[in-house]
Amino acid sequence: MWTFMGRIGFSVGMLMVIAIALPLLVTSAFAIDIFIRILLFAFVGVAWNLMGGYAKQLSLGHAAYFGLGAYTSTILLIRYGVSPWIGMLAGGVVAMLASLPIGALCFRLRGPYFAIATIATAQVLMLLFLKFRDFAWGAEGTTMPNLGNAPLMMQFDAKASYYYIVLALLAIGLAITYKIERSWMGYYLVAVGEDEDAAEAIGVDTLRIKRNIYLISAFLTALAGTFYVQYIYFIDPNTAFSFNVSVEAALVSIVGGIGTLWGPLVGTVLLEATSALLQSWLGGGHGGVQLTVYSLILIAVILYRPSGLVGILTDAYDRFVHAGSTKEALLDG
Amino acid sequence: MVTTIAQAVVNGLLIGGIYALVSIGVTLIFGVVKIVNFAQGEFVMIGMYISFFLATNFGIDPLVSLVISMPVLFLVGVLLQHFLLRRVLSLGDMPQIFLTFALSLLLVNVALLLFTANYRTVQTSYSEMAVHLGPLYVPMAKLIAFVVAMVLSGLLWVFLHSTDLGKAMRAAAQNRDVAMLMGINPDRVFCMAVGVALALAGAAGSLLMPFYPAYPLVGQVFVLMAFVAVVLGTLGNVTGALIASLMMGVAESLGIQFVGADSGLIVVFAMLLLTLAVRPSGLFGGWSR
Repeated sequence: MWTFMGRIGFSVGMLMVIAIALPLLVTSAFAIDIFIRILLFAFVGVAWNLMGGYAKQLSLGHAAYFGLGAYTSTILLIRYGVSPWIGMLAGGVVAMLASLPIGALCFRLRGPYFAIATIATAQVLMLLFLKFRDFAWGAEGTTMPNLGNAPLMMQFDAKASYYYIVLALLAIGLAITYKIERSWMGYYLVAVGEDEDAAEAIGVDTLRIKRNIYLISAFLTALAGTFYVQYIYFIDPNTAFSFNVSVEAALVSIVGGIGTLWGPLVGTVLLEATSALLQSWLGGGHGGVQLTVYSLILIAVILYRPSGLVGILTDAYDRFVHAGSTKEALLDG
Repeated sequence: MVTTIAQAVVNGLLIGGIYALVSIGVTLIFGVVKIVNFAQGEFVMIGMYISFFLATNFGIDPLVSLVISMPVLFLVGVLLQHFLLRRVLSLGDMPQIFLTFALSLLLVNVALLLFTANYRTVQTSYSEMAVHLGPLYVPMAKLIAFVVAMVLSGLLWVFLHSTDLGKAMRAAAQNRDVAMLMGINPDRVFCMAVGVALALAGAAGSLLMPFYPAYPLVGQVFVLMAFVAVVLGTLGNVTGALIASLMMGVAESLGIQFVGADSGLIVVFAMLLLTLAVRPSGLFGGWSR
């Protein structure tokens, strides 16, 4: 007889085995590209969810950190020949540093004001990088130097290598979320998310807790930024600071289940799978179909199931378990 | 130099009138219904496409099509409140922010599907006309748009201050519960507020059409401006939004003139962040004083 935790551990183990084996079973470059996108956006969603989900600080400006991570590693690589592996961490640190003043400004605001202010910070950064022509290639952007198969420089011939990097990132993100969820910080975050004034009143240092989670969230988002531009071999301000990144980070978390460990992954799988299906069904050239469907799904989730898909799954599980236990209770009676 | 500055100020004020119509709508919905409408810009876009199709298919002047786009969008607003916004009123920030946000995404992408990303313009007899005030150059289409925008804002002010429904809206904005105790029907007032706000967005769209291209993402330009203006002018304050919008228009125009063509938005966002840092409650406290 398995304990509950044992069962969860077993499922996670199975999931990991499947995830690791996937590139061996599916070799189509198109499919692996979709898997990479799923894992990448799930990872960005995980980073967003730490702050937006648990502490309910609904940021619409996470592209700021995605872009800073992307630009830091690219500038280090092209200007100074520094490996993107180091650049990735440097980007994370730059994002953390940037999150301090941005947070100091935005955390004075709540709800919709906070969301608007975060949009503005990401837009300002994008506009600034459009202006930095000598330093960061301005609006034209730049392509990455092709170094062939150079694992130390985060460049690979095999697409599967990128898959494993982003899989590792996602695993790290999920592990951090799991740890935080079960720590004092996790309880503080949920308290801030439920009612900030009440949390403050019972002695939670809400500003500090928000600042700390923003640091972690910004760091992780920046790692995704570096990975993304290394993967697509190109950077420009519109890609790196794309509003769509901010949107997608929030969207996958909300659709999957805001403030839950698995929510962002579940949400990304659903949205990206839908989008891939639409693409193969309709073919290319139908600009707008994908986001039309995304927004319809989002509206449906908000109106009918604000706890997201994970909520539906756990409800179904509860009902299943509950049905079993009532039957036993009846038999006992 | 003085002429250059004066010209930039005039340009800014003229476009600021349009920003005002959009931001008054945002602030009205926020004041009364307590929801920030992220989709307000998309209703400007819809107003533009209405005027565009009326102009190309029936030869109706965009300024005349104002009398069609405004009531159509008023109706859309009433339906929006009744069928969508009403359902999230008692819920938290997340559903309230992301419902209108999702609506904005939906409208942009449906427009992209239906009308493609092409820029659509309408040529009118007055598109090329201009008024010369001494050394200043004032394009006719923008002048008309500004004047109509100011007239509509004035009418709204009169409506809010001298009709029962307008007073009920202000009462509901000040304190929803007490207003309900006084016998004000909140559903009716909320529908009215969203309807009026969307009608203003529709008006902005029709007024823009003679000198601004319509495309699916056009609303984002105006909604970003409106957000800044609304925060600057204190959320929920109609007069504040009007004054702040004109200021934003001028700031943007001066930024374009003196910092660079692509710097208008930087100046605007810098103003927003500065305001948030120094005076997060905006320049004008309270509701439409």
